[in-house]
Amino acid sequence: MILTVIQISFRRLLHNRVELLLTFVVPIAFFSIFALIFGGGLGRGTTPRIKVVAVDEAQSAVSRQAMTALREQNSLRFIREGTQAELTRNEAMDLVRSGNATMAIILRTDSSMLAAELMADASDQVASQVVSAVVNRAIMLSEAENQVSQLTEDDQNSEDGSGVAMVSGEAAGESFGIEESLQPQVEIIDVMGEGKANPVVSMYASGIAVMFLLFGATGGGGVLLEERENQTLDRLLSTQMSMDQLLLGKWFYMSVIGVLQIGVMFLWAQVIFNVDMTGHLDGFLMMTVVTALAASAFGLFLATLCKSRGQLNGLSVILILTMSALGGSMVPRYLMSDELRQYGLWTFNAWALDGYTKVFWRELPVEALAPQLAVLLVSGVAFLLAARFLAVRWETN
Amino acid sequence: MNHACSTPALAIHDLKKAFGDLQALKGVTFSLMRGERLAFLGPNGAGKTTLIRCLAGLAKADHGEIFLAGQPLKSIEARQQIGFVPQEIALYGDLTTRQNLEAFGKFHGLRRRELRERLGWALQWTGLEDRANDLVGTFSGGMQRRVNLACGVMHEPRILLLDEPTVGVDPQSRQRIFAMLDELSAAGTSILLTTHHLDEAEERSDRIVIIDQGKVVADGPIDELVKQSVGTQRLVRLRIDRPLSSPIRAGVAAGTASYGNPGEHEISTRIDDVSKHLPSLIELVRRRGYGISDVQVESPSLHHVFLHLTGYELRD
Repeated sequence: MILTVIQISFRRLLHNRVELLLTFVVPIAFFSIFALIFGGGLGRGTTPRIKVVAVDEAQSAVSRQAMTALREQNSLRFIREGTQAELTRNEAMDLVRSGNATMAIILRTDSSMLAAELMADASDQVASQVVSAVVNRAIMLSEAENQVSQLTEDDQNSEDGSGVAMVSGEAAGESFGIEESLQPQVEIIDVMGEGKANPVVSMYASGIAVMFLLFGATGGGGVLLEERENQTLDRLLSTQMSMDQLLLGKWFYMSVIGVLQIGVMFLWAQVIFNVDMTGHLDGFLMMTVVTALAASAFGLFLATLCKSRGQLNGLSVILILTMSALGGSMVPRYLMSDELRQYGLWTFNAWALDGYTKVFWRELPVEALAPQLAVLLVSGVAFLLAARFLAVRWETN
Repeated sequence: MNHACSTPALAIHDLKKAFGDLQALKGVTFSLMRGERLAFLGPNGAGKTTLIRCLAGLAKADHGEIFLAGQPLKSIEARQQIGFVPQEIALYGDLTTRQNLEAFGKFHGLRRRELRERLGWALQWTGLEDRANDLVGTFSGGMQRRVNLACGVMHEPRILLLDEPTVGVDPQSRQRIFAMLDELSAAGTSILLTTHHLDEAEERSDRIVIIDQGKVVADGPIDELVKQSVGTQRLVRLRIDRPLSSPIRAGVAAGTASYGNPGEHEISTRIDDVSKHLPSLIELVRRRGYGISDVQVESPSLHHVFLHLTGYELRD
């Protein structure tokens, strides 16, 4: 009996492609995505490069030497390099605020020693630690080299050999002193988050909201397949209602539910985690409405693409989890390599999360949301048209 | 049956429909009169559902025409003269009876007062007034069937298409559903129903159309179909008290007539006139020394006609 139960279970599994896919392929796919995110690539093990801008206010030999050392760092990617005009401190800060750079390194002189101010975006908590360490090292080495070269010059000016040994001894003795005195003053200044809730909270609020919005949308789309399976769709189409009206009705309904879903989520985030939703209502509403419209169209597209509810369930789980992993709903995108971040731009999640980040974290004016709104809106309309095209087969078969 | 008007309520002319290489309809032609109850029969895969879908506007015929009261059935408005009740319970189980009826009434274009009136009528017609605010998903199969039916007639269609309206319901519910259909028919609604319950079709319809392999193979009242296909002879079965030793011959003079097979407990034959021939057959069997324990007389039915016309071969 037990053997028969096992036998029929195996046979049923072999006949169910979706279940087979979910059992064996999806875990491998997810493992691969996370390995790519945290491994930095296929077996390369490289860490993602942090986008920085640098301003040399010190304009000294040491600062130039430190800047050169920083540019040689693999972990940093300097943007705005090769431009004609030198960046100012304020311009660098604006680049960080707008999200174009993760950090700005300002080198300045403090009590004749080279010091640094790191203008950081606190939403990327890893970057500030990495850049701080790298800048510390670069300044220390540059200062040390500078002092050693000065000592060497003094040494060459001395006249007797015993002096060499003494000076060497002094130099050796001072070298400890040099290290201590060279400990640079590196200050991390958060240019974004003063007085704000933890940035990770607003990021995850939007990340999770978008992921569940997509699940909700495919669930809503699944109702269409359910109606088809129990012939309610046939009955509906035999009335005065057209397929256009049916799809538009479902699209609007699912979008309204999506807006409410995200609204409730952010309201909770405001009450419990101090995310300032009401203070950013215009941007929030724009992003939420457009994201909900796009996600609903995506749900309808998937539903019209599939033949059965079971098929839709399998496909939606695979797609949504993949999009969420790549798009930043599960893991912050700043942890990903540049290549993965580029792949992430093919997902709803990435564009929606970028938009919400601009609203809640960067506090940019709503005009700055134009790229995100445009991409989400165009993709929503495209998915809706595709769904309509695919639904033709249900009307006249 | 009401045949008030000679123009058919629905006329289907040379309808053809193919799915790839499969010819589902190969030129179907028949008509439905006003108030007529027509049973549209056929084995599985004969083309019944395809025809119903063409009539309901859910499939487009490759060839042929459909006329509604003499006018070509083309526009959505014209299609609203048709009510469609699918085989499945095509309702929202998580809505109440009233909400389902309201929804489908609105989808059919009913507004405010008209909708209110029809809603009241539908609840009374289905006998579900006391369950108007209960979720349909909690109903028995028979109750769901009644709501399913009511949703298809909220807009008072002239023609009602029913695909297996009584599948999976108990005899009481079936009886109720047919009583509801009789009411509609009496009010002038033409009914076209598909069913595999041949006894139901025989009892509850004015005319039978049988389709097989995409073609109409029979069209007419049941008596006519019987006469044309299997004839009017009755099948007589005599149960005897011991196995037959040899066939019973109806005397030397008759020569050709012989009844029964050796070793069997039953003698069966077909006779034209029961009152005339049955007593003489019983007498003949008794004279041969056999006792008769039971006599069965079977009239030719739609069942016999159906199998005679469509054969015994399985279709799926």
